Amino acid sequence: MLVSEKRSLFRFLAIYLSSTFLLFLSATLIFYHYQKHNILDTQRESLKSKAYQISQELRKLHEQFGVPLLYPPSPLSAIYDSDQNYIFGSFNPTNPLWQNESYIQEDKLFYFYKLEPYYLGAKYLLVNQKIEHTQITILQKTLLFFLLVAGLFFTILGIFLGRLFIAPMKESMQRVNRFIEDTTHELNTPISTILTNIELIETLYNCKAKKEMKRIEIASKTLSRLYDDLTYLKLNHNYHREIEPLNIGQLLQERLLYFQSMIEAKSLILTEAIEQNIIIAIDRNDALRLIDNLLSNAIKYNQKNGKITIALNQKRLHIVDSGIGIKEEDLSRIHERFNRANQSEGGFGIGLDIVGQVVKEYSFKFTINSIYTEGTEVTITWS
Amino acid sequence: MVIKRTLIIITTTLIATANPITKPSNRLTNSCLNCHTKQKIPSELIYRRYLMRYSTDKKMQKRILAYLKKPTPSNSIMPKQFFLKFPMKKRLDINGSILERDIKGYLDYFNIKNKLKVSNNSLSPIPK
Repeated sequence: MLVSEKRSLFRFLAIYLSSTFLLFLSATLIFYHYQKHNILDTQRESLKSKAYQISQELRKLHEQFGVPLLYPPSPLSAIYDSDQNYIFGSFNPTNPLWQNESYIQEDKLFYFYKLEPYYLGAKYLLVNQKIEHTQITILQKTLLFFLLVAGLFFTILGIFLGRLFIAPMKESMQRVNRFIEDTTHELNTPISTILTNIELIETLYNCKAKKEMKRIEIASKTLSRLYDDLTYLKLNHNYHREIEPLNIGQLLQERLLYFQSMIEAKSLILTEAIEQNIIIAIDRNDALRLIDNLLSNAIKYNQKNGKITIALNQKRLHIVDSGIGIKEEDLSRIHERFNRANQSEGGFGIGLDIVGQVVKEYSFKFTINSIYTEGTEVTITWS
Repeated sequence: MVIKRTLIIITTTLIATANPITKPSNRLTNSCLNCHTKQKIPSELIYRRYLMRYSTDKKMQKRILAYLKKPTPSNSIMPKQFFLKFPMKKRLDINGSILERDIKGYLDYFNIKNKLKVSNNSLSPIPK
């Protein structure tokens, strides 16, 4: 899966799952609140019936004239007169909440039962009992389990829907890749023919149209390089690498010679600081793609009579050009395949994608700094 | 000696007035309760009837006072049928504040709070 596909899929999943989760969570919370209310109502009813039983006990006590009158010890209760003054009880609450018929305080359920007539002078009977949490705990566990199962189900559904969602994009990408595959296949022979014959003409014949020949050579080499890049992209995941110690300095010099005609065509001033015998373990083709793309970008987007500085040492390859630069907002997307920050020169926008792939393959560090209209600085660092 | 006697009188008065649980005054007993006893209607029963209807001492006191000043069947705590058998009491000519004090004494004597105890746990402090 390409990076852009993954990104789209993750974005879709994030929005879909978060909205589904929020919806389910809201519904679950509402349901939980409603069910908990029902459970507490049941307990309240039970407390109410206990209050009624106590009121019957109070009636009996009111009709007794013996001493003492034995007040029922449980459930905990207290009696108040019509002015809400405490008369007696098996407990004496500090702050009864008179405005509510029942309330919850410190994990206990309280209920006011009105007495009529006022047995023992009591108009209000306040009873309380500890809240029974068993059913509430079962409810919580059930809802949590439900949330987890629903979450899992909707995640799987979301992934399935996501893949459906990105299918058209994937198909489009596959079509482009197929086009590249077909094109590269057709390009190879004619390009090779052109380059070979240019060399023959230059060697065997004293051709007067040297400038025109140079242009043909540059254009052919550009085509050839494009062909190499496209082939590399097409084969990359199936490519069998031969990693060997490679003299990067030497290879860099060779490629500079290869691009000499293009450098001369733009009258670019080349400054080199290439150390000798810089050996790194890398596949030759990977190294070629890396160097060629960095050099071709430095040349292609440079201005006439511009500058290119190349430095190579044990730790890094550093290329600076005085080209048109890259806008800050485009820098972050510069590695994406087919993304081109500037359309002024030819190309498919695959150069830095290839550089990125090579860097990733060998765990190199790739940094790019650019100031629009002033130039670009690229550094490849290896440990 | 004079000082000593004065001190004894003051102390006795203070003790008498400080103790809420005293028997109803002789005035009240003679004017009201004796008749109730003769008719075999216990004083405490009367108190309980007032308690069941009016709840607080303040309201009970007000109703008893109103009845004693103007005894009528509508003012009485007893049902109307009661007066088919028993005669209506006569109005009491006792000073209002003295009568109030006497009624308070009566209510304090029969106060239900003094008789209530929590079953099986009478000595433990009441939990809050």
